[in-house]
Amino acid sequence: MLLLEFRSFLFDGLLNTLLLSLVMILGGTLFAILFAAGLSLPSRWLSRPVFLIVECLRDIPLMVTVLLVYFILPHIGISLNPFWSSALSVSVWGGANGAHIIRAGLAAVPRGQSETVQAFGLSGWKGLLLVVVPQAMPVILPPYISLVTGLVQASSLGAVLGVNELLRSAQVLIEQTTIARGGSPAYLVYGAILVVYFVLCWAIAFVGRRLEAHFAKPYRRDRPSIDRGKDPSQVLVPTVPLDVRT
Amino acid sequence: MDFNYILDALPDLMRGLKVTLTVSGLAILLSCIVGAVGAALRTSGFKPAEYLVTGYVEFIRGTPYLVQIFFIFYGLPSLGLRLSVFWSGVAALTLWASAFQIENFRGGLAAVSHGVRDASASLGLKRWHHALLVVFPLAARAALPSSMNTIVATVKNSAYLQAIGLVELTFVAVDRIAYDFRAIEMFFSICVIYLLCVFALSGLGHALEHRLNRPFAGR
Repeated sequence: MLLLEFRSFLFDGLLNTLLLSLVMILGGTLFAILFAAGLSLPSRWLSRPVFLIVECLRDIPLMVTVLLVYFILPHIGISLNPFWSSALSVSVWGGANGAHIIRAGLAAVPRGQSETVQAFGLSGWKGLLLVVVPQAMPVILPPYISLVTGLVQASSLGAVLGVNELLRSAQVLIEQTTIARGGSPAYLVYGAILVVYFVLCWAIAFVGRRLEAHFAKPYRRDRPSIDRGKDPSQVLVPTVPLDVRT
Repeated sequence: MDFNYILDALPDLMRGLKVTLTVSGLAILLSCIVGAVGAALRTSGFKPAEYLVTGYVEFIRGTPYLVQIFFIFYGLPSLGLRLSVFWSGVAALTLWASAFQIENFRGGLAAVSHGVRDASASLGLKRWHHALLVVFPLAARAALPSSMNTIVATVKNSAYLQAIGLVELTFVAVDRIAYDFRAIEMFFSICVIYLLCVFALSGLGHALEHRLNRPFAGR
């Protein structure tokens, strides 16, 4: 079978996809933190331009951003190979989307927490990392995990610039076998690639759910506590729907 | 930057924009229909249909859109379905957007409270009347913000279709760059055009939201 015959070729592509995705996830996280910090700068003269950049990145199609970086950077004297060019453009795009996720997560932590941290004399960074961020995690993680799967999917855009990742290997394989043997195996190869990407994203979502469960642990109602054994109606906080308006 | 060059290229860009808007317009229309039907099926209580719709949504959301496009354009012909570039684009965009619209509309349906069903039962409304005249307007209103996001994303994602050679806005720009090497001018103009499209659409969405919220405002 064709797929088994060229499995090492496709496997190389998969490795490159994983590498590219990893670079994009790390870069995206870095840009997200930078943009989130830029958005919350005290001076409006500094935070407004960051906001403008972030909004433009979110509103311009990713395909256009990827091509733009690839075509424009050489004009201003920076030449990147396709791998780093696509990594840069997708990272910046991921950062723009991630900045809003991080900002919303930090905003969801009550102000009292950061005030208490200050009262306890923890310096800015320590307090943020040790107290505020762990509490923001349950809000940040779900959209952040879907951003990570989005970045893995966006790594396929590298094929447009000619990075030898999974999609590009599939294209090459299809071209070669169509020329050599006649009859296009496109549906088979692309179908298999779709399944590979699906499994990859599913695995990320699985790990993400485990992480979410870890950070949600302090908020679980059913965990063992010293209150066990009392009348459950007194222990459990009654759930009142906050928004009863229809 | 040479604005005269942009002026020169404008007719070409406008032709590209027309294709972009036609493809995404068709896809938006079709995906809203598929989304409504899919969401109805998913909450119908008929298990096989629910699994099928859920599987479809999960698969589309878990795979890269670019690979989906290639599968439809290059893969389907050898399975006996030959579509033109244009209709491949519409099909790919519709399939992708539908998965998201199903989720949006499902969220909208979930936001309709159960008391509404009892109310229309006590008024003696038939099931179809209840679904179309009571639940649908309420669900559509609740689903509007998220489905507006998907609609905007549909227009943006039509740019991916340049990869299979659909002559839309991005393709026109890249094509001209290949001849004239005016990358800065071309990318500047298509970015502005895409931004205008996105602003116009989201403005429309906000206006619609505001208009539909009138019965609930000021209380």
